[in-house]
Amino acid sequence: MTLVIADEPVHAISQEKMEPLLVAVFADFVCPYSYLAVDQMDRLVSEYNVRVMWRPYWLHPETPLDGTPVEQLPATQERRSATVAWLKEMAPEQAARIRFPDRLYCSLPAFEALEFAAERDRSMPFKSAVFSLLWEKSVDIGQISNLQRAGEMAGLDAEELGRDLRERRHLPHAIHALIQAREFQITSTPTLLLGRVRINGWHYYEVLESALERQGISKRQSA
Amino acid sequence: MREEYVIDPALIAWKKGETEGLSFSYQVLLDGANGGPEAIRFRFDPCPSVYAHMHLTSQFQLLLSGCMQMPRRSLNLLPVSIHYTDHNTPYGPFSVSPGHDMLVLHPKRGGLISMAHIAARRQINLAGRLLVGAINENRWTTGADSHDVEVQMVMPRAEGPGADAFSLSPGSLTPVEQSAFGRYEVVLKGSVTCSGRELRTPGLRFVRGVEVAEPMVARSDGAVIVVLTFDADAEEGGLNGEGLAVAAEEAMAMAI
Repeated sequence: MTLVIADEPVHAISQEKMEPLLVAVFADFVCPYSYLAVDQMDRLVSEYNVRVMWRPYWLHPETPLDGTPVEQLPATQERRSATVAWLKEMAPEQAARIRFPDRLYCSLPAFEALEFAAERDRSMPFKSAVFSLLWEKSVDIGQISNLQRAGEMAGLDAEELGRDLRERRHLPHAIHALIQAREFQITSTPTLLLGRVRINGWHYYEVLESALERQGISKRQSA
Repeated sequence: MREEYVIDPALIAWKKGETEGLSFSYQVLLDGANGGPEAIRFRFDPCPSVYAHMHLTSQFQLLLSGCMQMPRRSLNLLPVSIHYTDHNTPYGPFSVSPGHDMLVLHPKRGGLISMAHIAARRQINLAGRLLVGAINENRWTTGADSHDVEVQMVMPRAEGPGADAFSLSPGSLTPVEQSAFGRYEVVLKGSVTCSGRELRTPGLRFVRGVEVAEPMVARSDGAVIVVLTFDADAEEGGLNGEGLAVAAEEAMAMAI
């Protein structure tokens, strides 16, 4: 039986009045599995009372600013074929959109830009724009001009973003965030902290739902 | 008290199976009847993507030949590799190369459930361990108790389940110890005498209980043995005739 006060179920009122549960996502833009988490997090925000915080984890700090051609990476072709097969089975919708770039891009400028966006409360649309440019259009996210393009897509001032990136104003914040990821002992991407539950690596949406529901966070009635 | 099963695969018929587009040959080495262990030898036909799935019990996979590539964790399993998962811990999709030969070893019947099954996703064991190790020909060390035995810790037991390999010179014995949750001993090279029977690769024994089993004895050609030891997770999950277990049991029955 559900108690009703003022025509609204009690649990619905209490859920929405509660502070949203914090979900931290440690991810790298160059990770295709992190790209899959973008849609999942957007869906989670629309269906549950959660607040998502997108944090950087740098998978390939050895990558130079202008990137590394994929043919210079170890066993790339074989690994890419296996990854494509994996994506097709696990996330067919996103797999159809993915275009693998011919270089491994350097993530650091994008992490700096993410800090710029976070200061302006635009980190969520900004990260979506960066992932979209990289994984759907093979755009080099190591280039400031391309990050400005992502900034525009996210409603940021592209000129200001470009200036800040050239002057490396957000580098200390980005490095601090990367150190924080190390302190959390992040080793794979995406790693999700959903309240008290930690999930290492990409997982099914239903797993995220179960993790929330076990912490008393139920789906919005409108979802 | 001790449960002990000794299996010579050379005496067991091969059959053909198919599930979700994956074709394979298999031998049922142990059928898991009456709460006993379940062991199946599979030879998958080459496949670019074996669907993601899980079993409702702990599992060791012992890759004897061929290659299995699991892109999500960048795992490229080459022989002889050991891949362990706790109950309800999914893995895959993965690709299989030609020449595949693998033992799938459970402490009890575990069924099979595709991760396309939405209800199964809600029962994933989020704390489930996925451990991988490989026998490396350059990593043998002389045993502490005998110079006739070389040893290799493939999966340290500090992490729970363990895998240890032993290279035995002719006439030397495998180490024995209690195994409350069960362990498989598999012949990888050469031959042994076990409970009066000759076992060649990949002959195996499953032992469980407080009473230790007689050691295996390496025959004149010596032997390499791998010992795969379950921990307490072996008592979790299983086919209890309810909910997901019914689907898992049916899926396994349809596959083999």
